[in-house]
Amino acid sequence: MRPPLLVSHRDGQAQRILAIDERAGALGLKPGLGVADARAMHSCLDVVEADPVADRRCLESLADWCDRYTPLTALDGDDGLFLDITGCTHLFGGEEAMLRDVLARLRRQGFDTRGAVASTVGAAWAAARFFPDGGLVEPGGEARLIGPLPLAALRIEPAICLRLEGVGLRKIGDIMKAPRAPLARRFGAALLVRLDQALGAVEEAVSPRLPVADLSVERILAEPISLVDDIEKLSAALARVLSTDLERRGEGARRLQLSLFRLDGGVQRLEVGASQPLRDPDFVARLFHEKLVAVGEAIDPGYGFELVRLSVLGTAPLAEEQADFAGGSERSVADLALLADRLRARLGDAILEQPVMVASHLPERAQRSEPFSVPIPAARDVENGHMQSSRSNPAERPVRLLPRPEPVDVAAAEVPEGPPASFRWRRALHRVMRAEGPERIAPEWWRQPAKAESRDYFRVEDEAGRRYWLYREGFYGTASAPRWYMHGLGA
Amino acid sequence: MAQAALAREGLFALRREIARIEGRLAERLELPVFDPRSIPGEGKAVPNAGDAMVVRRSGIAGPALLPLGVPALDDPLGGGVPLAAMTEIHGAQMRDAGAVAGFALGLAALALKQAPADDRPVLWISAAGMFAEAGEPYMPGILARYGIPAERMLLCRAQRIEQALWVAEEAAALPALALMLLEVGGTPKKLDLTATRRLHRRAQIAGRPLFLLRQSAVAEPTAAPVRLEVSPAPAGERQLLQSLPDAALLEGSIGPPAVKVAITRSRTNMPASATLEWSDDARAFRAREPAIRGSGGVGRAADHGTVAAFSQDRPHPAAEVGARLASNRKPSWAA
Repeated sequence: MRPPLLVSHRDGQAQRILAIDERAGALGLKPGLGVADARAMHSCLDVVEADPVADRRCLESLADWCDRYTPLTALDGDDGLFLDITGCTHLFGGEEAMLRDVLARLRRQGFDTRGAVASTVGAAWAAARFFPDGGLVEPGGEARLIGPLPLAALRIEPAICLRLEGVGLRKIGDIMKAPRAPLARRFGAALLVRLDQALGAVEEAVSPRLPVADLSVERILAEPISLVDDIEKLSAALARVLSTDLERRGEGARRLQLSLFRLDGGVQRLEVGASQPLRDPDFVARLFHEKLVAVGEAIDPGYGFELVRLSVLGTAPLAEEQADFAGGSERSVADLALLADRLRARLGDAILEQPVMVASHLPERAQRSEPFSVPIPAARDVENGHMQSSRSNPAERPVRLLPRPEPVDVAAAEVPEGPPASFRWRRALHRVMRAEGPERIAPEWWRQPAKAESRDYFRVEDEAGRRYWLYREGFYGTASAPRWYMHGLGA
Repeated sequence: MAQAALAREGLFALRREIARIEGRLAERLELPVFDPRSIPGEGKAVPNAGDAMVVRRSGIAGPALLPLGVPALDDPLGGGVPLAAMTEIHGAQMRDAGAVAGFALGLAALALKQAPADDRPVLWISAAGMFAEAGEPYMPGILARYGIPAERMLLCRAQRIEQALWVAEEAAALPALALMLLEVGGTPKKLDLTATRRLHRRAQIAGRPLFLLRQSAVAEPTAAPVRLEVSPAPAGERQLLQSLPDAALLEGSIGPPAVKVAITRSRTNMPASATLEWSDDARAFRAREPAIRGSGGVGRAADHGTVAAFSQDRPHPAAEVGARLASNRKPSWAA
């Protein structure tokens, strides 16, 4: 038999009990007691250190699991969950059956849970925490229910609670009977807001943890699945159902999420994005195919998935278009978009990029990479006109630019401000046969103040005809020696 | 009738033999000029046969060749680089990457020039950090020299060679791209005959070129019908005025980029090489006459650089010396 379990936390200088299990409770131990005292009373105790981060993670995974009941789940403090089940109860056989189902399943996972269903968030909170068996609160019965409860059931600050108790208001019913204006004046408006929320006089919305999907379809499986092929087949089937819904709305999906609910409570989510609004079930299935290939072994079915849900997280209008016989450019753009989506689903978002020219005289800033998008963006900068027309740009630029300038060993330059006679780059010695330059490029002082030095660029050809773009930072004859860098190839 | 057909077949056989001796493509034979006296009774069946061409290339007809514009290379290639195919472009060393990329971009510019109304993008796939190693495509330079605008270029950075090959295969079958460049460093094992055949076949079906850029690589058996080995060549000098042919060269200047291109594999199997020069103004290659330099000792100097060891498909491939330095480890010269 396992020894009684205590969870301890450090409180000032002392190690105190934070939580106890039933066996420890039976021994008369209480939270707040020092661990040393508890050990003195009972020698055989199992004490573990509290891990709030893991507790939080556990609660979040429980919230994920509760996603099967309603998309509107929210965390409540460190140990509670709100589920907004408006409109969902009929799927589970009514409120009472649903509550029983939630509690029974959680108990099977090893959680000691209490729950209540009420018309208001406050009443449900109070009923779940202050009645041992929770239960249903009839609409309109909130006042009768919370009246006899202590003030802590109102979700108000402990300090206000203490002050209220100091003037003899010990139960919620006392506050309900007391005149409102003096209460608000002495104890703040928050008290009355909480009271009204509990009674339903003021609306209180549960703010969901996760964004609520625009559309979602799911399938509950009698026999859990664990093979990737099965998941793919199921995602195609779900996408087919989804496509009719999307068609009715005249929309296409931009972001899709496949949620896989494991038998033992874990939830895994796969997300894919689409460059263009997407409706075709085959395309959706292909995107998830790439994603599943990319995820590979990281998908852990455990004992299998019992519920699979496909949600649309973002939509965009998608008008039905009549195709022409020639199959024109729209088709090819769509092909390209699908290819980009599949590459991204499998290899990550940074896989496909679109270079964009920027109006800057600094070579490394003159080009920027942007994620590929449809339609392909035209040149961004209007002021960049001189870059667009190649003929009017006299300065020659290399064909390839190193992502980071690489240091180059230069023994000596022929003249102090001139090109090097030879240089060593990547351990190979290059003799400079001809050079053009310098082209002085000053730093953008309005962006990087005072730190950067101006550079002198040289186009250089070595003995074999390789063309390089070198630059020198700093000047000869100053305190710090100039440094040489290789910046481009094929200048 | 049968006799006439036989005679014609004989004529074709003879012409094929002549083509073989001359080093032309046997498939691109001119039909015999119609002469009613030589083949009696056949004349009415094949009118206007004089200037027709027989192109037998798996049933694909049309302008399937991309001429380089330099007869010294176009003739051994049988007219040019095949358009609907994979073409290998080799560079011997990593530091030649600028010249190799320049030549490939020149080919790409020629191919794009053939269809001016086309606005499909060019996809450039880099395998295993080639962009970090040999430099990123720099659009200001590419636009100025080759006229390929940034909005028509797509860059794909694959971490590993398998990923690059997967992307290339997926994209090669896609008609939505104008052409593809696949850049690979060294001689990876994954890029074998099977992989290249898959790429080549897809490029053939899609009907557009795929240029396989292999930096710092040795020739291996691949499915590409044409292999060009590119090495840098000393450029000429800048011309001051276009109208004056040779009087106005600016001494000591670096003119348009030049490359030495050698055909090491083609349908005719005729080895050939030529030094090409890319003209920024004409956006075309032209042959560069050798030895236009005067004094100054610019000619062929010995290559003093450390040459990278080729990594080969052996149990313990030789360590590459100096070829891959864009890594985290600190090179000795930077100590």
